[in-house]
Amino acid sequence: MKKALALLLALVMVLALAACGGGNNNAPAQTDTPAKTDEPAKTDEPAKTDEPAPAPAGDKIDISVIAAQYGQKTTQWWADFQDEFNKTYENINLNVEVVSWNDIYTVVNTRISGNQAPDILNIDVFADYQADDLLLPAQDFVSEETYAKFYPAFLDQSVVDGTVWAVPDLASARALYYNVDILEAAGVEVPTTWAELKTACEKLKAYDSSIYPWGIDMTTDEGQAAFAYYIWNNGGDFTDADGNWTLNSPENVEAIEYAIDLVNSGLTNTDPANETRYTLQDLFGAGQLAMMIGPNSIPTYIAVDKKPEEVINYGTASIPTNEGKPSVSAGVMDRFMCFDNGHSPEKLEAIKTFFDFFYEDQRYSDWVLMEDFLPATKTGGEIAAAADERMAAWVEIVGSCKFYPTAQAKWADVKQGVINVEQQALLGGNVQELLDNLQAEIAG
Amino acid sequence: MNKTAAVAPGKQKAPVNKNAPVQKKAPPSRSRTLRKIEPYLWIAPSLILMAVFILVPILSVFQMSMSDVSKAGKIKGFNGIDNFAKVIKSPAFGLVLKNTLVWTIAVVVLSTVLGFLLALILNNQFKGRKVARAIVVFPWATTLVIQASAWNFIINKDYGTLNTLLLKLGIISAPVNWTPTPEAYFAWEIACGIFVTIPFVTFCVLSGLQSIDTTYYEAATVDGANYWQKLFKITLPLVKSSLTVSTVLNIIYVFNSFPIIWTMTKGDPANHTDTLVTYLYKLAFYNGKQGEAAAVSVIGFIILLICASAYMIYTLRKGDDQ
Repeated sequence: MKKALALLLALVMVLALAACGGGNNNAPAQTDTPAKTDEPAKTDEPAKTDEPAPAPAGDKIDISVIAAQYGQKTTQWWADFQDEFNKTYENINLNVEVVSWNDIYTVVNTRISGNQAPDILNIDVFADYQADDLLLPAQDFVSEETYAKFYPAFLDQSVVDGTVWAVPDLASARALYYNVDILEAAGVEVPTTWAELKTACEKLKAYDSSIYPWGIDMTTDEGQAAFAYYIWNNGGDFTDADGNWTLNSPENVEAIEYAIDLVNSGLTNTDPANETRYTLQDLFGAGQLAMMIGPNSIPTYIAVDKKPEEVINYGTASIPTNEGKPSVSAGVMDRFMCFDNGHSPEKLEAIKTFFDFFYEDQRYSDWVLMEDFLPATKTGGEIAAAADERMAAWVEIVGSCKFYPTAQAKWADVKQGVINVEQQALLGGNVQELLDNLQAEIAG
Repeated sequence: MNKTAAVAPGKQKAPVNKNAPVQKKAPPSRSRTLRKIEPYLWIAPSLILMAVFILVPILSVFQMSMSDVSKAGKIKGFNGIDNFAKVIKSPAFGLVLKNTLVWTIAVVVLSTVLGFLLALILNNQFKGRKVARAIVVFPWATTLVIQASAWNFIINKDYGTLNTLLLKLGIISAPVNWTPTPEAYFAWEIACGIFVTIPFVTFCVLSGLQSIDTTYYEAATVDGANYWQKLFKITLPLVKSSLTVSTVLNIIYVFNSFPIIWTMTKGDPANHTDTLVTYLYKLAFYNGKQGEAAAVSVIGFIILLICASAYMIYTLRKGDDQ
């Protein structure tokens, strides 16, 4: 009896503390996960049961949007957008919720499991939602006129089973950034090949050992980007032309071995497994890092809170490649998708109106320039290129860069898998073995 | 005599109620039922709250741990122990479990020893004792994320304050990399964990120390006991109950602690600094494997349940002996 009582007490205590533990520590500890998803999906039908029934004539049509917070200005931009839209279309009630990147996946998954999916979602991935049959094809929710504006190469990134499931809202591209003053002082030319890069790094290190020659980020945050930079510039890829995974191809192994060798030779930042791209950008902006691969938003990033004369003298160039291989820029693209919530024809029209309004050329180029991104529509690209000379070169790059295979349902596993491979390799693991194991796990 | 006197008024009152025999019996039985129900009524609100906010989510985790959950968070159906099997088979799990044990034991043991010593010091009469006690609370009162960020800032090789200080003092000539290996990073995380846990232990022990009657010490002094004898024969046995409470609570808090490790390393590189909680967070929100994450959560829960039950049985049995 005593033992039973003791067990009961222990159970209650652990339950209570497990629940409090998270809160007390400000942590999403174990019990937070279910707490947010404690409404398991009861039916497969994603109908929104708690929404007002199809409105009688004269009532407003509600559209709910969840949008990712790209930076400081995003929330205000969407608030203004919502006001303007609701004033222009009095029969529609648009409600945009801006969520930070840290929380957006949790928020969206919780809504989905509670049958409360938003009508429109702005996020980076789409394949997981598509795999659960939650999405509408893009051509069902975007008008023909707007659909024709997108770069075809961008739409191709959202194709599963021959159908486009999402439309791009913006993009960013990567290039080599270098500190002009440091390279000149050390007498180093901007490297274009891997051999030149290594020599340049060695010269820079000999010139001033307190400056890091080369920046590498292999963190959980964005380690997959480093993987892409090196394999793509060695002629390798995540998949072959038919979409089969080729993670352990000889090109990929060689590329990662090269990157790890740069770290082991002491030519990079000290701790690539823990130093994110933002740490590298800080070091670069402070003149402590000579070269790094980064996005088109770096100039704005390093100029924050600085007088123009305090900003380092930097230049951009193509990402160095292995001898004889073409230089490939890495592109990142985010998307809009529409959840299949059993919309009425009127509501679908309202959603199309939303996208027409958003992609209206001037408004769209404002959106893209707001946080220093690149446009995903041809007309937006023309306006942005005309507005800013530097932008023109980037618009050129983004039209030809490679993207992660985000349309693959296994991309999330591959992304974490390659980061794990990089970090294991940093700890001394054998790249070939690690990639063989990952390939077997993903494709096998 | 007294007895009859006591009974008499009752007998006298009885006839008054004679006309209403039903009413006469009703009040005691109603009050008896009420008395039976009353305690449950009082604890009902907390029971309901616990059921809604603790039991339901926990049952939901158990359900999820035995379900096939899609990446978008839809439960696709029951899959038995598949999630558990996948978790236990994954090569990272053993490492993560080992880290969790090292983390919990190191932080709890060291912070208990240091917190106890600090409490002994703070229990002495000295000038500025109140200020000293207030300072001890600071690490406890600050958000763990801020604490961990501050520690990261201190030990950073490139702009850390520790290197700057040592360089200024001329102790080192070039910045030192304080975190050359994952183990070194983990040690710093443990140090940070100890730093933020000490205040809790200190205050638990201090409350125990202050309840000890000074006459014990006076008697011991008269009998010629030295400092160590007083410490081990009087102080320790009398603060033991406070120490056990703080230790058990700490085991659960530290085991489930997330922010320090997440802020400092996110479990990187390659799970070498992950504990169960950061690991399951990554599984759920970075890998989209919510079923497996729930399984890890259940495993952690069972480990804690075993520890807490062992403690409860141990202390209750001791209570019987006394």
